[in-house]
Amino acid sequence: MQNPGFDIDIAELDELMLLLASKAEEAVQKASHALKTQDIDLCGAVKTNDSIIDRLQLSIDDKVIEIIATRQPVASDLRKLLSVMKLASDFERAADYAVHLAKATKLFLNEPQWRQLEKIMQMADMGAAMIHGTAQAYKIRSSALARQTAQLDDQIDHIHKSLLQETLLFLRQYPEEAERATRIIILSGHLERLGDHMTNACEAIVFMVEGIHADLNE
Amino acid sequence: MPSHDILHMELNFPSDHIALSTKNLEVIYADGARAVKGISLSIPKKATTAIIGPSGCGKSTALRAFNRMNELIPGTVTKGEVLFHSRNIYAPSIDPVTVRTNIGMVFQKPNPFPKSIYENIAWAARIHGHKGNCDELVESCLRKAALWDEVKDKLRRSAMSLSGGQQQRLCIARTLALTPEVILMDEPTSALDPLSTASIEELTSELKKDYTIIIVTHNLQQAGRISDMTAFMLLGDLIEYAPTKKLFVNPEDERTERYITGRFG
Ligand SMILES: Nc1ncnc2c1ncn2[C@@H]1O[C@H](COP(=O)(O)OP(=O)(O)O)[C@@H](O)[C@H]1O
Ligand SMILES: [Mg+2]
Repeated sequence: MQNPGFDIDIAELDELMLLLASKAEEAVQKASHALKTQDIDLCGAVKTNDSIIDRLQLSIDDKVIEIIATRQPVASDLRKLLSVMKLASDFERAADYAVHLAKATKLFLNEPQWRQLEKIMQMADMGAAMIHGTAQAYKIRSSALARQTAQLDDQIDHIHKSLLQETLLFLRQYPEEAERATRIIILSGHLERLGDHMTNACEAIVFMVEGIHADLNE
Repeated sequence: MPSHDILHMELNFPSDHIALSTKNLEVIYADGARAVKGISLSIPKKATTAIIGPSGCGKSTALRAFNRMNELIPGTVTKGEVLFHSRNIYAPSIDPVTVRTNIGMVFQKPNPFPKSIYENIAWAARIHGHKGNCDELVESCLRKAALWDEVKDKLRRSAMSLSGGQQQRLCIARTLALTPEVILMDEPTSALDPLSTASIEELTSELKKDYTIIIVTHNLQQAGRISDMTAFMLLGDLIEYAPTKKLFVNPEDERTERYITGRFG
């Protein structure tokens, strides 16, 4: 039988996973803060952080592959490993969106009067909260917390829709601001996707814990 | 069918898809030990069903109860029913030898007769009252057991000269010669190396096109690889019986989970 050491392997994965999640959460928070405070240095830090996140994701994948190859896990062990791989990829994507957000800082330098940025930051804060909730649900293996966390996505979607309308109207009024307005639309789309990725991650946690494919995208 | 349905499939085989079923099957040895404590299950036709569980949980005893082999162990009492073609094989009117012909058994250690390869199979034909030339039967059984190409030029050699894996396939060929419907296998690969094991596993997936296979194995990966249904036994009880895919991805019972993930006891 395959057990000895398996729980140690899982503990190691948990550690990597929670580190990845906290780095992703931090990236979104920092990107939002960089945009708010027009801090170009902080924006650079988010970019540097991203290569660490990429490497973390790869080490999680490697570890999962190693465990599957050497231990042939089944049942909840197998579900855990597959969920871990999905989660890691969702966290990594979330951090990518943070980099895009940080990069926008330059474009809005000395343009603090942009009302729409408020909503972008609101979405980013919710995105960070979703990452936090997802990581916590994974840590304590709670499908209830995962379901609860996924609900935050509705609010992000809601802001995204209203921001889109608002910005399109604005664009008609001020066509000379097309570049910045378009960027707002793109960022809003990214943060909406971030919410989707965390919803997927929450579904992976439900699968890990309960063994069922839940659709939390309602 | 969406994948989540596979995981929650109900065990509703239509009755004409059932090869064999048990009702409260119980086996008590002469010393009073209840090795099988009243199990009820339906084995689907032309499929492979694996029985897994820790050593001593009653897998072999249950398997032997499926073709009345326990009767060869003095003092063993069997209760409940094993239904085969809607008849209880333990009914007084039923001849156990016929039962064992229709429901064949392959053992853990290959046990060919110390005779030629040819004779090992021709023996079965003679039991059927066949006289004289059995070439066709020998060839067809060896082909079905995926052994023909390896032995066709040395049929008169002793079966004992074959490798372990070949001997096991010869034993399977010998069982096939009795034209069974169900083949019981008790850890048929536990004495074999990985390559011979692979050849037996491959053979079972061929055989299940025409036969119903019930295999006891202590190798969980093997159960996962070759079976359609898996039964998990513990201390003589049937704990869980489910499609293999379901049982190995999302078992219902905590004890099954602990056993298959290696956290038992
Ligand atoms: N001939 C026998 N007489 C008495 N007890 C037996 C006999 N054969 C097996 N047992 C007992 O019955 C239980 C189940 O044995 P068995 O069916 O061989 O288990 P498994 O195949 O799962 O390892 C064990 O406790 C074993 O010791
Ligand atoms: Mg046994």
